[in-house]
Amino acid sequence: MSDPVPLTTDAGQVAAAPSPAPGRSRRLSDRGLAVAFISPALLLLLAMSVFPLLWALYLSFTDYSATRGGPARFVGFGNYTAVLTSAQVHQRALTTLIYVVGAVGLQTVLGFGIAYLISRRTHGRGVLTTLFLVPMMLSPVVVGLFWRFMLDAQFGVINSMLGSLGLGQVEWLTRQRTALISLIVVDTWQWTPFIMLIALAGLTAVPKYLYEAASIDRASEWFRFRTITLPLVWPLLLIAVLFRAIEAFRLFDLVYILTNGGPGVSTETLSFHVYKVAFLGFNTGTASAYGILMVLVVIVLTQLYLRYLNRLKEG
Amino acid sequence: MRYQQRTGRTSVPGRKVQLATAAMLLVATTMAACGGGQDDGEQASAPKAPATIPELTTDPLTLSFIWFDWPPAQALEDFANAEYTKERSNVTVKVNTVPNANWHDAMFTQFAARKTDFDIAILDSQHIGEAVTNGNILDITDFVKNNIEVDAYNPYLLAAYGQFPQAETGQRDENASLYGLPLLGDTWTMIYRKDLIGDKPPQTWDEMISVAEKCQADNPGVSGLAFHQANGSDAAAVTYNTVNGVYGGNLWDPKTRKIDGVLNDAAGQEAMDVLVNKMKPLTARGSGNWFIDEVNAAVAQGKACIAFNWIAASGGLLDPKESTLGTTREQILDKLGFATLPSQKTNLVPLGGMGMHVSAYSAEANQVEALNFMKWFQRADIQKKWAAAGGVPSRTDALSSPEFLNAGPFNQVYADSVPRMRDMWNVPEYARLVDIENTNVNAALNGAKSPKQALDDIAKEQQSVLDSSGRKGGGGL
Repeated sequence: MSDPVPLTTDAGQVAAAPSPAPGRSRRLSDRGLAVAFISPALLLLLAMSVFPLLWALYLSFTDYSATRGGPARFVGFGNYTAVLTSAQVHQRALTTLIYVVGAVGLQTVLGFGIAYLISRRTHGRGVLTTLFLVPMMLSPVVVGLFWRFMLDAQFGVINSMLGSLGLGQVEWLTRQRTALISLIVVDTWQWTPFIMLIALAGLTAVPKYLYEAASIDRASEWFRFRTITLPLVWPLLLIAVLFRAIEAFRLFDLVYILTNGGPGVSTETLSFHVYKVAFLGFNTGTASAYGILMVLVVIVLTQLYLRYLNRLKEG
Repeated sequence: MRYQQRTGRTSVPGRKVQLATAAMLLVATTMAACGGGQDDGEQASAPKAPATIPELTTDPLTLSFIWFDWPPAQALEDFANAEYTKERSNVTVKVNTVPNANWHDAMFTQFAARKTDFDIAILDSQHIGEAVTNGNILDITDFVKNNIEVDAYNPYLLAAYGQFPQAETGQRDENASLYGLPLLGDTWTMIYRKDLIGDKPPQTWDEMISVAEKCQADNPGVSGLAFHQANGSDAAAVTYNTVNGVYGGNLWDPKTRKIDGVLNDAAGQEAMDVLVNKMKPLTARGSGNWFIDEVNAAVAQGKACIAFNWIAASGGLLDPKESTLGTTREQILDKLGFATLPSQKTNLVPLGGMGMHVSAYSAEANQVEALNFMKWFQRADIQKKWAAAGGVPSRTDALSSPEFLNAGPFNQVYADSVPRMRDMWNVPEYARLVDIENTNVNAALNGAKSPKQALDDIAKEQQSVLDSSGRKGGGGL
């Protein structure tokens, strides 16, 4: 036990006014302290995120090439005009659009369907959810590599299964239509669990008493789904779709591993094309403008989407 | 008082100070990031290597190479650590590898950063123009004059792996500068199944196609041909260029820098027609993305009558562990034959292989060691040892030596092919030119474009790349 603290002091000490506890120096006010604490993170953000973005913005108005070196010549909106009017870019934009709509649409339907079925189960729900989440946890490169083997026309397990069913071989990765479909299927396999997870959270949050009231009114299953489940889960589902659409819009890794953009350039997405512009010819200025335009497209579409979501909430 | 400070807004002058500080930080970061910018202009051309090798360090040193991941890379590291360290015991040789598709990017992104983790870049012959123009590798012209027996080589081999501007096919310009020395020679070999088509290989391209056709018809489950068709690296492009050369076509006119009208002339169109309409139907279904490994796998599994592949990548075909053609090397060789490519209107074959090039951004001690390694590597005795270790040398004496000719059944093919070699364009725009050709040939081979459309698109797009050097903005599209 520690010694008891004396409760009284001698007269001399009482007489003298107690000096205040030594305070922090005036420079270290609470605000200063706050700045001191957040400045490392802020500086890191500035150096790793804000600066590259601003630097890319600057380069996008020049003809700078990372390998050629030399001074960057100002070209005004030349790079932007070239990107926006390029037939090559239009082709990649169309491919990306088809891919985004196909993959995200399929993932939404499947993800919501699976979540709906799981939500109705009382036993084994946790195990099923965990199992469904496994693909999402894998690296896209790993996913791409094993699907590449599985989809191989000669030795792949998919064609082997089709063969055992008496069906012919399909050139999954080397034909124009099947290559893009393969990309959509692989992306769907990996990312459906993401939609499923968010939809499941929404479905779990629907109050039970609504269903009970509907049951009392003898509402049909379809009526309950249409008027209770879907309207309540819809906003959350739309947020999941937004995240997936942004991700799908930036798709690079699966294309690189599975098709390398082929056959020809038929599965080249915008991100893959930016990579080629940036690293094959090291046209840094053009690639920067291309990247900035892609960011702008995402920002504008996201804003429109969020406004729609807000209106939905208000409604 | 403190609460007021914490919750209240900073006064306007205070905010101005903060804004100014943030702006200064941003400017400082920008300046720091662009610090090397001033050097850029000075390094517009390749710096010169010393004519004689300065004193070598005695401190421990790691001499690093960069190459792509394939058997010769490991062979080089093993060979150099076994032999070079006998003379330079303080040196360890490390050959860093990257996947083939990333090879160009891995080297040139480091060059772009003006800092490399390798001392010797193993560049494809076509990369030289880009590296020289950007000042990424040392000019070793004087070094070669003083240290290398240039007469010991076929002049074109010396030129192909080091000269810039590009040498004319089969020649060397003695007044041109040199930026590299040969490391590994290579070309395509025709691999054929002796047990299926006989011991005598086809002599002409047309004969080869008809033999493959018959073999495919006689042997269900075995495809007539296997060759590179992928749209990555230079796979499909080399295939077309080979057929183009054999049928008398040209890739471009280097003097006028003209591609449109040259590549897609009558000979070029005939070559594309042969490739897409006569050769492609003899390949396996789904082989439209095949490259080196897939072609080797098809041969090793007995699934192809005739195949084409780089010699340097063919060693694994004789490994019984990887082949279904026999349980011993001899049994496999009873079934597999290796021959030079058939000729047709010309007898041209593709030039493969790579040279050694010293990084301009490597430390001085490492650059000196790199030069010493290159001098050592080009010695007659070392070239023969390299041949015996599985490498393909470039010195004429080594090429005709028993060490080389007896080391592999395809080495005679290489020796016979040397006078027949033709390279692609060795210009700074190479990476974009080859991508255009790769994607379009791949599209034609996989039915995404008609052969004529693909060839016309290649010619038009490549011409636009060569013509766009002075364009204001939008380069690369």
